[in-house]
Amino acid sequence: MDYYLQQLVIGLSLGMVYALVAIGFTLIFGVLNVVNFAHGEIYTIGAFAGLLLFTSFAPPLAAVILIVLAVGALAGVGLERLAFRPFRRFTDEASLKSRAMREATLMSSLALSIVAREAIELIFGSQFQAVPFKLLLNNPIKLGPVTIVDGDLVILGTSALMLFALQYVLKHTRVGLSIRAVSNNALGARYVGIDTNRTIAWTFAVGSAMGAVAGILVGLYYGAIFPAMGFSPGIKAFVAMVMGGLSSIPGAVVCAMIIGVSEALSTIFVASVWQDLVAYAFLIVTLIFFPRGIFGGVRERV
Amino acid sequence: MSVSDPGRGRSLLWTALLLIVVFAVVPALLASAGRSYLYQVANLIMIFSLLSVSMHLVTGVAGLLQLGHAAFYGVGAYCAALLATHFKLSIGITLPAAGLAAGLVAFLVALPTMRLVSIYFAVATLGIGQMLYVVMLNWVPVTKGPNGILLFGGLQFLGFDLSKPAPAYFFVATVVSVSIYVLHRLSHSYYGNALRALREDDQCADAMGIDTARLKLESFTVSGFFAGVAGALWAHTAGYISPADFNFNVSILILSMVVLGGLGSLPGAIVGAVLLIGLPELLREFKAGDYRNIIIGLVLFGAILFLPKGLIGETSALDLVRRQFGRGRSIPGHEGGVGWK
Repeated sequence: MDYYLQQLVIGLSLGMVYALVAIGFTLIFGVLNVVNFAHGEIYTIGAFAGLLLFTSFAPPLAAVILIVLAVGALAGVGLERLAFRPFRRFTDEASLKSRAMREATLMSSLALSIVAREAIELIFGSQFQAVPFKLLLNNPIKLGPVTIVDGDLVILGTSALMLFALQYVLKHTRVGLSIRAVSNNALGARYVGIDTNRTIAWTFAVGSAMGAVAGILVGLYYGAIFPAMGFSPGIKAFVAMVMGGLSSIPGAVVCAMIIGVSEALSTIFVASVWQDLVAYAFLIVTLIFFPRGIFGGVRERV
Repeated sequence: MSVSDPGRGRSLLWTALLLIVVFAVVPALLASAGRSYLYQVANLIMIFSLLSVSMHLVTGVAGLLQLGHAAFYGVGAYCAALLATHFKLSIGITLPAAGLAAGLVAFLVALPTMRLVSIYFAVATLGIGQMLYVVMLNWVPVTKGPNGILLFGGLQFLGFDLSKPAPAYFFVATVVSVSIYVLHRLSHSYYGNALRALREDDQCADAMGIDTARLKLESFTVSGFFAGVAGALWAHTAGYISPADFNFNVSILILSMVVLGGLGSLPGAIVGAVLLIGLPELLREFKAGDYRNIIIGLVLFGAILFLPKGLIGETSALDLVRRQFGRGRSIPGHEGGVGWK
């Protein structure tokens, strides 16, 4: 029983990480209707930036998280500039969300993600990076019958804080207002004087900042920081977005938690090498049986 | 059509020229270089040409973005390797068996996912490709996991021993040429035009009486079949396969070939394969092998940004193919007309 509880806690913190990554996907999809295939690499960049900071300046964890937030935001804006803006020749709704735009940016973000991953690999090598032992977030904490590590608490706490911050940004700031406006109706937003290009850049900044923080948190939690680390959380976050109904942030967060918990619990029944299959199975089942996502929502053909 | 028809003559000339290059010029060059390593590179280029042309049928012509093509390639390779190691079967049996197995898997994958459009289809194929990869990696009793499978005994076909580099080259060249010819006839015919129609607007094509679900299913299965054939060729010529040969990066590499050559253009798919396999090998000669993948990424990005139609765009590719390989059936003065039977 204790083992189940322990796996549940691990699953919750895993799910929180997927949720942070999924939010970036969801925000960008809401605004542009495109999937950003380079989102996983933002996560990797966050982890590497954090590790570099730790090894060169050894600042406190909170400061690292803030700096990684900024690095992620910058990387997101750069990504938007390189892979998305060149293909946006007009800013009306039809061409913003057109099929040609969708397919071109799909490939361009994929291409940039390869370049980013390979560049990191050239600089740091493809193997796991050595994370100093004292930085690892795995000091055991006994909570009644369950033993968890402080990393679980850090991840749960930071993620929850960031979700609230995101809610505040989206609901109570002008930037958030313009993001919601563009994702609701890009042409209408333009008519009332919102700068669409700027809003899109902001969306990438906010989404990527959260993805980058997820990267460093997981890197310190598992002690596994390597150039290809963004691939699997990227896919799982994407699955969470599809399950949640594509443009619903709460839906994506809840589904990310479901995926995280199911993955952790699946290790009770099968060897952990098979746990990646859980998310893919969720994806296929969702696409076939709940094409609108588990939480419904109106959508065109899928 | 009379034999004196100039279109037919030119079409024969071009076909003959291509065959001479593949079956005489390249082997002559390879033999004069005298390094068996170069034969392997040539085989790899041909195998990837077949892979990119088979993906061209689904992604370029039928417009279904496929992100799991390497998995079907892997299914074919593992099928051939397992048959060859456990039952000592020669490539005459394992080649069609690998094709059929990959085609069957593609068919089963296509059944539930054909309803999906655009990005959802792409992600579903990505998910399924990854599932197959995880199975290859972790189903240790059968696939030997990350250690991969070694094939002993070389390449045997109908009692002939083809394990020497040159005979192996000719065998691969023959199989790839025949397969590409079949795919060429499929994508440059009324059948291909129907696939192009459903790429442009599947609802509209449906309304005009094209059975879109069936066409998608068929093209996906055929593409999977030829990917499986390519897998068998790889397993037998390389003599060793491991899951790393069939992961997501390989799918992306094949996609890059198709995009670089021009979506919907068959000659482009071949040019893309030659460039993306050949260039890194050239770079390796100059001790730049580390930059291989980063160059692939940059080439892909540059191709999308600066050459949105690819090296040989679809329209010019269709012109080229119809003029030079069209069996001279276009009626003079009616080139702009409908169809090309």
